[in-house]
Amino acid sequence: MQTQVPQQKKANKLASTKLGGKLVNDYWEMVFRAREQGKLVCWYEGSAINPFLQAADICWVHGEAYSALLAARHQEVTAQKAAEERGYQRELCSYARTHLGCAITNLRNPVPPDAPFVSMAEDKYLSSRLPPPDMIISAYAYCSTGQQWDEMTSRVFGKKVPIFNVSLPWIWAQKPDAGYLKGQEWEETSAYVARQLNDMVKFIEQQTGKPYPWDRLRELMGQVKRASELRLESMALCSRRPAPASFFDWVASIAPINHLPVGPEIVDYFQAVKTEVEQRAARGEGAIHKEKYRLFFDGIMNWNKVGWLAEKFAQYDAAVIAGRYTHMAFWQEPGLIDPQDPVLGMAQNYLVCPNNHSAPILIGQILKLCEQYEVDGMVLHASRTCRAFTNPQFLIADAASKRLGIQTSTFEGDVTDESFYKDELVNSRVEAMLEAIDARRARAA
Amino acid sequence: MDTIFAELAACAARPLRYASEWKQATGRKVIGSFPMNFPGELGHAAGALPLILQESEEAITVGHGLIYPFYCGFTRSLVDQAAKGDFSLLDGILFGDHCVQLLGAADAIRMQLPQTRVIFYQLISSMNDPWTHGRAMESFAGLRREMEELAGHPVDDDALRASIKLFNENRQLIRRIYELRKEGKAGLSSRQMQSIVKSSMIMDKAQHNALLRRLLQQLEARTTPATADVRLHLSGHFCQAPKPELLDMIESCGATVVGDDLYHGFRYISTDVREDDGDPIDALAEWYMARNTRVPCPTRVQNNVDWDGFLINAVKNERAQGVIVLMAKFCEPHMYYYPEVKEAFERHAVPHLLIETEHESMALEGLKTRVETFVEVVKRRYAA
Repeated sequence: MQTQVPQQKKANKLASTKLGGKLVNDYWEMVFRAREQGKLVCWYEGSAINPFLQAADICWVHGEAYSALLAARHQEVTAQKAAEERGYQRELCSYARTHLGCAITNLRNPVPPDAPFVSMAEDKYLSSRLPPPDMIISAYAYCSTGQQWDEMTSRVFGKKVPIFNVSLPWIWAQKPDAGYLKGQEWEETSAYVARQLNDMVKFIEQQTGKPYPWDRLRELMGQVKRASELRLESMALCSRRPAPASFFDWVASIAPINHLPVGPEIVDYFQAVKTEVEQRAARGEGAIHKEKYRLFFDGIMNWNKVGWLAEKFAQYDAAVIAGRYTHMAFWQEPGLIDPQDPVLGMAQNYLVCPNNHSAPILIGQILKLCEQYEVDGMVLHASRTCRAFTNPQFLIADAASKRLGIQTSTFEGDVTDESFYKDELVNSRVEAMLEAIDARRARAA
Repeated sequence: MDTIFAELAACAARPLRYASEWKQATGRKVIGSFPMNFPGELGHAAGALPLILQESEEAITVGHGLIYPFYCGFTRSLVDQAAKGDFSLLDGILFGDHCVQLLGAADAIRMQLPQTRVIFYQLISSMNDPWTHGRAMESFAGLRREMEELAGHPVDDDALRASIKLFNENRQLIRRIYELRKEGKAGLSSRQMQSIVKSSMIMDKAQHNALLRRLLQQLEARTTPATADVRLHLSGHFCQAPKPELLDMIESCGATVVGDDLYHGFRYISTDVREDDGDPIDALAEWYMARNTRVPCPTRVQNNVDWDGFLINAVKNERAQGVIVLMAKFCEPHMYYYPEVKEAFERHAVPHLLIETEHESMALEGLKTRVETFVEVVKRRYAA
């Protein structure tokens, strides 16, 4: 007999994030129809270069977004199997493996002509639906995997698709003047990336055969800036007790800030989110019904388990409030963007991706968030095939414990390969961490 | 010859001991670097011993408190060695490369060794952009300034050119041995070949050149009997040396390795730095790019060269009858490129075998059965 979870133990998800569902579906339908509409298609991963592409009326396809979508809908296996059959090993980044699997099925098992796209929920050919690229742009901070993934995608398509690389250096920050958003290394690296973005625009012009519409980019970046500000303002409200929204609500809001079409719709979306968060804060309504613990989530999301994990932590009365993936990513420095001259600010936002500062700076930013949100503990997702995120995790956990006295706990999973997720380990480790928090509180009392 | 190999093998087996003894004897500095692209010439010109850090034979223990087990053995071993204090003799450690696992190791090692100067100089890994050469020059120029600070004196162009000449000679000497091996005239095992290359990554270059000159004299003077063994090319392992016992096992199955594109092999020696009166930093940048064109590495991206194409040509050039691909477990660049390589082998009917290698113990008997079967397959194919 299935055990029903009592209502008061369920996650109290933001209603406004459901608006994003329609935006997501509309975007992917637009992608699936791009060829019919005569649009050029650009495949890219990592950095949010989509405003550059949208401004030029190019259809953009973000690889991780599609892999995450498939995993969240539990429809990733077809693509992953296709990749494995070709010889990609399971220890390879599962985002890449899923996306490369889509490229392979696109070539080898194209969608039958009598199977038009109906809806995401009903479609059986999602792994074949992505339109093949007319160009590839690689702009991936920190993770060598991203750049190599784009290069191999180009080879899957027979090297017939032009590819452009933007190199984003890691901020090592060894010099005395180095710090977050400051120092000679930061200034020089920002300028280097900005120069490459300007060259990328020339590449785009070569592909479209038209002058680049800079005014349109300026307009779009004004909207990105506003959407980002609203998102950050909403997040900041969660330092209250109880936190009115959770890390999982912010995960559900990634698509609108990351890769959905820029326009009034994303500004409206984040305004709606902020309004709901403000209303909850005013009436003392939390993201979970009984907030006994406040946690920070380090690591990338486990896309196969978003809902599952949201409910799991709710059952433990643990509010997961903030995370590196949501709070240190996705245009999180809108103050750097000058919509009238956006390229440098865009370059700098790409450089502050959640992994692209070396550990001392990264840890400093994470601990600030832990203090801001007054967390009791930190859960770290050891994502098997995403080493970009797992790289500094031992250092982060050590610092959190020594410098802030927070309990930490690690669980094993992956970005989009469900076979790496170990549920019983999550249970036992999280329970142990919460018991340790209780014991510490009892000692302090 | 036995004495020469004993010296090379001892250096290769205990790199940090060699470096420590060298440091005591000379009173000079030792700079440890990660693979793959640090031009040792820069450290040498600064008067230091440039040492490419090697995977240790020891089991990883304390390192697993800093880095997860699902990382390649090389990064885990380096972190483990740092955590155990094995790198305390180093006056500086250099990281330059792009591989995400090496970046994680860099962070962990810097936190473990707060008193050691840890230098990072990320080399551009996109190899045929209009700014690749310029950016590589900036990186090497910055690195030169770091070496000068470390050494406490300038590193002038003449010193750098002299180091380039010395290192080029070393590469040329080892390439001559490679030619002899390909022609079946070297009579050296893969273990011996590895000790030649690996010791070059560690030993004082002038000392190594002297040993190689003596070795070559003896190799060229002797007659090596022909062998009916299956001729193989070994491919893979971009950072760490394949375990010698694995190489012994492969050769015990009736195979002779006639060529490779291992880092502890042809990759390390493939390309010389331009020697002229021009800017040596410019020459080093050119070398960095030329190396990848010569022997493409999956850790770089360069759309106009093909590693699979290189391998097919190498097999023809070496008259190899098959390829054993050695893939270090968790090596992402290799995992990405392998399907292209596999399909190229299939298109060109090149027999090949994939062996996944690990830092921790490998079941050699099981692997031996696979290699023996592979050798049989190759023999039958050539007999048909």
